[in-house]
Amino acid sequence: MSTTRENVLIRLQKIDRRWIYLVLWLVVMIPLLFPFKIQPQPSPTVEKLFNYIDTMPENKALAISVDFTPDTRAELQPMVVALMRHAFAQKRRVGLLAISVYGLGLAEEAIQQVTAEFNTNARTHEDSVIYGEDYVFWGWTTPVLTVMLGMGERITNVFPVDYYGNRTESLPIMRYIKNYDDIGILVTIAASAIPRSWINYAQVQFGVNLSCGITAVSAADFYPYVNSGQFIGMLAGMKGAAEYEQLVAQRMKKNGMDWALRNRGTEAMSSQTAAHLAIMAFIVIGNIAYFATRRKRK
Amino acid sequence: MNLSTDPWVWIAAILTLAIFSFLYKENPFYRFAEHLYVGIANGYAITFYWHRILVPSLFDRVGSAQTPVSTKIWLIAIAVIGALYFTRFIPKISWLIRIPIAIVLGYASGTSIPRAIDAEIIRQAKATIVTRASFANWQTGLWALVILFGVIATISYFFFSTERKGVLKPVSYVGIVFIMIGFGASFGYTVMARLSLFIGRLQFLLGDWLGLIK
Amino acid sequence: MQRRIPLLIVLITGIFGAVAFFVPYPAIRSADEIMRNDVQRIIAAFSLVLGVGSIVQHHLIKIQRKAQFWQYSYITLIALVITAIIGLFGGIDIARPGVLPTRLGNFSFHIQTIYSNMMVPLAATMFSLLAFFMSSAAYRAFRARNLEATLLLLAAFIMMLGAVPLGRLIHRELPAFAEWILAVPNTASKRGILFGVELGIFATSLKIILGIERGWLGGGGK
Repeated sequence: MSTTRENVLIRLQKIDRRWIYLVLWLVVMIPLLFPFKIQPQPSPTVEKLFNYIDTMPENKALAISVDFTPDTRAELQPMVVALMRHAFAQKRRVGLLAISVYGLGLAEEAIQQVTAEFNTNARTHEDSVIYGEDYVFWGWTTPVLTVMLGMGERITNVFPVDYYGNRTESLPIMRYIKNYDDIGILVTIAASAIPRSWINYAQVQFGVNLSCGITAVSAADFYPYVNSGQFIGMLAGMKGAAEYEQLVAQRMKKNGMDWALRNRGTEAMSSQTAAHLAIMAFIVIGNIAYFATRRKRK
Repeated sequence: MNLSTDPWVWIAAILTLAIFSFLYKENPFYRFAEHLYVGIANGYAITFYWHRILVPSLFDRVGSAQTPVSTKIWLIAIAVIGALYFTRFIPKISWLIRIPIAIVLGYASGTSIPRAIDAEIIRQAKATIVTRASFANWQTGLWALVILFGVIATISYFFFSTERKGVLKPVSYVGIVFIMIGFGASFGYTVMARLSLFIGRLQFLLGDWLGLIK
Repeated sequence: MQRRIPLLIVLITGIFGAVAFFVPYPAIRSADEIMRNDVQRIIAAFSLVLGVGSIVQHHLIKIQRKAQFWQYSYITLIALVITAIIGLFGGIDIARPGVLPTRLGNFSFHIQTIYSNMMVPLAATMFSLLAFFMSSAAYRAFRARNLEATLLLLAAFIMMLGAVPLGRLIHRELPAFAEWILAVPNTASKRGILFGVELGIFATSLKIILGIERGWLGGGGK
């Protein structure tokens, strides 16, 4: 091997990591500024959850447990938004709660966003979403056991006041959502092992249907629960969020709600694609440089 | 470019860039932002623990005329036990902190045992066992067999009580293959996860702050 | 005494927690509900003292000893106090303000505003740094040294391509193959690991209840 080539390979291996950071920054930024249209195709696990909520009986509510914190907001917040849009589009009641105190603000942000979308575009009173009638934000309490086991008996005992300080017993919606029996499915959106706790406590004791939206880091670990049927489908990372957004957009269009809403998960797909290719290139280049210099040393 | 005029968006953007400055090298802006985050997070937690737990569950109930005296005494007793957490900062009686910890830890351990056995072991084992229902079509049946064999192989890899010889040796090697594929899948998805978080921040900087993304 | 009492409490509460799952009698169910809604909830609220108290103590000691970067400890403490005051006295619902006004003209410094515009960006950006560290690690450390590592790499590449819409353009069946990897070999390996982990957790929980595992007691005491 020539000395020049060897020097290049050695320098490649010892490159200052800040050059790698810069390349990554550009690779992610440019597609955001100049996106290429790229439609995610829903995977079976996403479709399973979507179809379940889509065909849920009218008297059953969707419960969303916002179990994540601001660090994973980018991946998981789009899931909360998409789920709420889906439920409202299908005129299903929604109940939200947070297992972590730091998830409260995120749930509130999602509620403000989605209710503004629906109420801005509503043409009739029936199309609008009203707090206390169409949805409720139970808020947060601790510890986890109190929430997961208590909700199976009576939700108003677990959350005597909602997030806004209203007595939950006084809300009209709570006449229809007393405990898990009135919940068609509870979707836990989490970045940790909390979904396992939902299975262990809520599902084992009360048989509530569960699903989860999980960060991609943990997604692979939760497939055994999807396989066993303990989770009805699953949303994995930003990809799962983007796929669900697409399905919800199609459903809303069918329902006459073609409002051109912003889908953050889908928007990220072009950057995600470019970044994945960049990481793969880093790995390949790193390995080529490594093996080439190793062969030279031999 | 359509710069935001909301001062809070600017504050958020400056704090975001302060954290990102760490990528170049550690600096006072990053350290400032880091320490600020810890302070705000704790202040936020104090707020909600007070307003949403202590006030409705303890103070309102003790202060209410409708609450029976026996319940009030019971709640005050629990509060005294909870207050034993403060003894952590008094060395002479710091052992008292073990009491509220014991109540929480004991109850949590006890409640988890039967539930975890049911959910994580029995139901997962049920899902692993191949039955006639697994063969709804030949593909589901085949993959069910692969999963069954993969689970046995993975478990055998972690079995260190006997020497790896005979049947155990090739089966545990197959276990490594399954584990490597599983970890590879996890790594691939981890790449996606980490990048998603960065994409989210750039969406904020380029969209909400600079107005470059429509 | 200092160890025996907590161990006895753990034994009683642990057995009660396990037994309550199986026993349908109203008295036990009622006691379980009181245990969860009153005892666990109020004690858990006080547990915040540990976290906040430790942070405050740590930074006060740093200031006292003038340790490295001690000046920044003031920032943490001041931010903590100000945020707590705004939250405690300003109310947590924007529609229902507390005794402390949280608005100066059009400028709001309500706890929710501070959360959305300070805490969320700080936390989210802190974690987004991992993308860079991961990319650097992928470049420097991820080597296909042997068959197992190569297998891991290949699986990762298939997942990365299958996770983005581009995968479908490379090969029609690539996303389905990535999904199959997750649903079959990944499920098998993760389930095998899960059995081991859960049996370990079960054993540890039992050891804690029976007083065999005493690490949680900390040092000292008889």
